[in-house]
Amino acid sequence: MPNFSIIDHTADLGLKVWGETLEKLFENAAASMIQLVVKVSAALPSETVEVKVFGNDPEDLLVRWLGEILYLFEGEKKIAVNSRVTSISRQHLDATLQMIPYDPDLHELLSEIKAVTYHLIRVSQKEDRLWEAQVILDL
Amino acid sequence: MHNELKGVHFMDIQLKKEDSSRWIIPKTGAMRVPGLIFSNERLIKDIRNDQSLVQVANVATLPGIVGHSLAMPDMHWGYGFPIGGVAAFHPEDGIVSPGGVGYDINCGCRLMTTMIRADEIAEDMDLLVSALFRDIPSGIGSRGAIRLSNKAQDKVACMGAAWAVQEGYGERDDLERTEDRGTMEGADPTVVSERARRRGSDQLGTLGSGNHFIEIQVVDKIHDSKKAAAFGLSKGQLTILVHSGSRGFGHQICDDFLKKMGSKNLCGSYRLPDRQLACAPISSDPARQYMAAMACAANYAWANRQVLMHWIRKTILATLAIAPRELGMKLLYDVCHNIAKREQHTWEGELMTLYVHRKGATRALPPHHPLLPEVFRDTGQPVLIPGDMGTFSYILAGAKGSMEQSFGSTCHGAGRVLSRSKAVKMAKNRSIFSELKNRGIIVQSRGKKTLKEEMPDAYKDVSQVVEVVHQAGLATKVARLRPIGVIKG
Repeated sequence: MPNFSIIDHTADLGLKVWGETLEKLFENAAASMIQLVVKVSAALPSETVEVKVFGNDPEDLLVRWLGEILYLFEGEKKIAVNSRVTSISRQHLDATLQMIPYDPDLHELLSEIKAVTYHLIRVSQKEDRLWEAQVILDL
Repeated sequence: MHNELKGVHFMDIQLKKEDSSRWIIPKTGAMRVPGLIFSNERLIKDIRNDQSLVQVANVATLPGIVGHSLAMPDMHWGYGFPIGGVAAFHPEDGIVSPGGVGYDINCGCRLMTTMIRADEIAEDMDLLVSALFRDIPSGIGSRGAIRLSNKAQDKVACMGAAWAVQEGYGERDDLERTEDRGTMEGADPTVVSERARRRGSDQLGTLGSGNHFIEIQVVDKIHDSKKAAAFGLSKGQLTILVHSGSRGFGHQICDDFLKKMGSKNLCGSYRLPDRQLACAPISSDPARQYMAAMACAANYAWANRQVLMHWIRKTILATLAIAPRELGMKLLYDVCHNIAKREQHTWEGELMTLYVHRKGATRALPPHHPLLPEVFRDTGQPVLIPGDMGTFSYILAGAKGSMEQSFGSTCHGAGRVLSRSKAVKMAKNRSIFSELKNRGIIVQSRGKKTLKEEMPDAYKDVSQVVEVVHQAGLATKVARLRPIGVIKG
């Protein structure tokens, strides 16, 4: 089963993501968002960045986590090609991001995401213990 | 079910028809005021299929809202506020909400008139569209030819279009023809984050992607000959319309303040029906800081459209090899459609300052309004309503009814009816480029999917939208413009 799917929203784009653990859920969310933003051909990560993210609850944490990765791309022109969440609680996470510099000649841009929104944001664990999240991106 | 959004409610919203252009959502539950939707039988059908009615009702619960939670005929499902939403708040117990403005602060339109007849340059259209596409930075992540130092960025943030004019991008008269003279007061760059600065440092003078565009048009029909003449419009004339905003600078400012306001409860016992509606009392520090930062982004957007106009003029002159006097390009008006403003309105018989949020709605001042420059005193403020890239755009003039019913506001465009992914699906195996070419419209687009996502079928019928606001007396039709060349991001 793929670990994310795209959901219809009239103006924007919804994302539904799954993961066996909360860590995996957040890693999959990051990977699926980057997949929507830019097409990366095989590249060796050139830099590792440690990030700490704080939020009020898992939903806020997810918006801020994705916001961090989006900013690194939009503001610092770095693509997070891989992420590993090393520790996570309801209000805090530590992660290691493997980055490559964005190169317009090598990487095809797919969508411009303005921001990660709080509209209909959800993080939950289903009966089968699988974690599920939903988030809407403003295009 | 993996492909549906959770937490959406399509039911339990009552909609009562008032007359042929007005629908009411009666005040129920936590709503403090009723909802009022300007629409008609045809457009309201699409609205019933999405979440925007729930969003109108949610906005009606916000503290200090006065009058109605309003929505324009081009409304559709947004996040937090509906797109096409207008709400005014009382200065004493009201709030300011970054979600009521949206991420693209001061997204707006700018229309330029020329002295050229469109049929005179019909043969040059391919060349002209290609030249504009080449010269004006557009598309996802577009970077400009201007790199702003921190100091220059502060000036842009404080001065807006006036900075651009001072730097040689255009003329002083352009400012007369820009909402708020292209400079929003109260901007304070010290409340803008480093991240917003980084994102904005190389995006001034860029169009962006998605629904942002430059359109070359011909005046196709005059609805009000007196006002059209006052606006300098005549049938067959070439016009150029620009739609862009504050780029990453504004997106980041909205994002920063949503997080700031969402992280703690600033409004006492009020419970947010949607986290995207995070807000702060008008008199609080977070609200004051947001208004100061939002003004910086609004000014960035006005400078952006001023620079874009300058470059468009240069490219047209070079491509057609004509003198500025022959082109006679002049700004008709620049107006924004994503903003929150302190404005004077008569409320319950008393003139007072209200905080008006317009998210996908245009200001529409009627004739003789004190804020209008001399040139538009008798006509009312020009209102620019772009349609989709295959049909018409409209120029309207603000009318008296806007001050009486919608805090001086009207619609902003056609409004989406299909999601982007549905549009792409529907456009499968179709060449939107050829379809438009057959209709006499030359299109160039940076993004592969953009043409499909933005195809005419994805939007409501702009003529219907305009008809509603005309009938409702919010703004009256002046002229209709037909696209002949489109540059998409």
